[in-house]
Amino acid sequence: MTTGRLLGQALKGLTRYRLRTFFMMAGIMVGITVLTVVLSAGMGARERIMERVRVFGLENLMVWAGGPTDQTRTGPGLGGGSTVTATLKLEDAQAISDQVAHVRDVAPFAREGQMEVQWRDRSFTSPVFGITPEWQDVWDWPVDRGSFITAEDNASMARVAAIGPTVIRELFGEEEDPLGQVIQVAGIPFQITGVLGEKGTSAGGGDMDNRVFVPLNTYLRRVANQDYLTGIRVQVEDIREMESVSADITALLKERHGIAPGTPQDFRITTPTEVTAMVEEMQGTFDLFLILVAGIALVVGGVVVANIMLLSVGERRGEIGLRMAVGARARHIKRQFLLESAAVAFFGGIGGIVLGMAGNVVMERITETPALFTWHVLAAGLLFSTVVGILAGLHPARKAAALTPVDALRS
Amino acid sequence: MTNNMLIEARDLTRSYQKEGTAGVQALKGVSLEIREGEFVAVIGASGSGKSTLMNLLGCLDRPTSGSVILDGTEVSLLDEDALAEVRSRKLGFVFQSFHLLPRTSAMENVQLPLLYTDAPDLEAPARSALEIVGFPEDRFDHHPGELSGGQQQRVAIARALVNDPEIVFADEPTGNLDSASSQEIMELFTELNRRGRTVVVVTHDAEVARYARRIVSVQDGRIVSDEAGSGPATTEVTS
Repeated sequence: MTTGRLLGQALKGLTRYRLRTFFMMAGIMVGITVLTVVLSAGMGARERIMERVRVFGLENLMVWAGGPTDQTRTGPGLGGGSTVTATLKLEDAQAISDQVAHVRDVAPFAREGQMEVQWRDRSFTSPVFGITPEWQDVWDWPVDRGSFITAEDNASMARVAAIGPTVIRELFGEEEDPLGQVIQVAGIPFQITGVLGEKGTSAGGGDMDNRVFVPLNTYLRRVANQDYLTGIRVQVEDIREMESVSADITALLKERHGIAPGTPQDFRITTPTEVTAMVEEMQGTFDLFLILVAGIALVVGGVVVANIMLLSVGERRGEIGLRMAVGARARHIKRQFLLESAAVAFFGGIGGIVLGMAGNVVMERITETPALFTWHVLAAGLLFSTVVGILAGLHPARKAAALTPVDALRS
Repeated sequence: MTNNMLIEARDLTRSYQKEGTAGVQALKGVSLEIREGEFVAVIGASGSGKSTLMNLLGCLDRPTSGSVILDGTEVSLLDEDALAEVRSRKLGFVFQSFHLLPRTSAMENVQLPLLYTDAPDLEAPARSALEIVGFPEDRFDHHPGELSGGQQQRVAIARALVNDPEIVFADEPTGNLDSASSQEIMELFTELNRRGRTVVVVTHDAEVARYARRIVSVQDGRIVSDEAGSGPATTEVTS
């Protein structure tokens, strides 16, 4: 007997006992609905993490001034913020560029919290960065009009600025053309030479479009009056070199800063791997709990199916006996009941996926975090429902196949 | 000329051993031969062992001792799958309670035995079997619940015939029918036999046994008589 015919018998068996089939499907549906919602939420969270890591840049690492235990750090989770550690210098950036292998670009920068930015009677509080032209390359920073900070700007300590769209909106609104205008940054006049494009949200969750960029030398000498950096962004030639570059930079800076083994460092390095871990931690641990809930719901669904199938086998002894009398082998009986339970679970799974998609909409409203329904979620729903169906059907099917024709017919 | 031997049962016994109770011996040494083309009634009271005998002859059960040779094959030595194969190819069964699948059309019920063979076509043999038993074509799609008892039993008989078996076993085929339907069904068996089909009917009812041409009486696990019945003379099958 072909599997196709057996499947036909199984499906007919299911339509013959509709109420029973409905209850079994409902049992599986609940579990798969929960699973779909949980996985979709998980995929959505994952996507956001990936998005943030993409923003950080997969080929980049950050060297921050200030050690891992530096309590003066006040910035957001990813370590931006202000620091009083004054040991990271421009020469360190040059040394990394000269001495560390597999480094493509080195972009040193300095920033000191937020600063007052004014144009005419309007003002805005903005993070002001002193940067070099490499900054644009390592961040792939988009420029709408004008130009980014150039090497000449930096060499001549020019008072020029490239500013983000949020700043433009706040200071100029829609009507005025910001290019060429002069703004006051901490009381010092800067001419706007670049209008930046949208960059979005940073890995730490902050707005990256509210920034004002000025040449690094201008910033160090004319704005902040300091000789130390906040950090150095380093782009590697190949993602696979990330760990070795990170180790080489650590060794180089320890040597340059004269840090003895066993004493705390005065800098720290953030790689995309750490960003991923950090953002995942920020997402919280409730995913694991929900997956547990989905698992329990599926087990309960499986138990429901197993019980109803067992009941069904008991009530259909006559049918089983008759099938055996007219030539069904034990394996045909076993497969028929297995297929019934697998099919009912499969269809319950489809129902659960559909309900889950509806649940996603509700969950998005409640939690205000986007769910992402991908083919992974679809495949997981179909796979788990069918597997649960087969597992739930094993015992009832074996029991049906173990009947002898005489015993089965006697009922 | 005698017809071919179909069943040769020798010294069959069947005991049922239930845990904690003394064993019950349902058959106590039965030998029986059935030839092609016969119409045999096995008659006996409830508990006489007649159904046990049918189960053994029909390969639904195995004897405790003794042998059953069916169409030249010693079936008591076969494993479960091989027995199912024998039932599939050579035997047809009709039961007192019809055993039709509920909410399933007459047509599909008749097709059931074909599912367990490699028959490429299900429709044509089922159609022809339903025609043989005189089941009205306009009810092929009806479910058992929409049919009278007599019609249901006709469907069951068609199902027993659809694989073109060597023998049709009927266990109290009229037990759930009124007397008019009973008569029709027994006339149908008579007609099937007249066309050459070997029929074994198990019954407690002398009225039913009356249709057979040979009556085997079973009492207390043994055959007590084996004599010609009042049915028409045995057909010579030339094949």
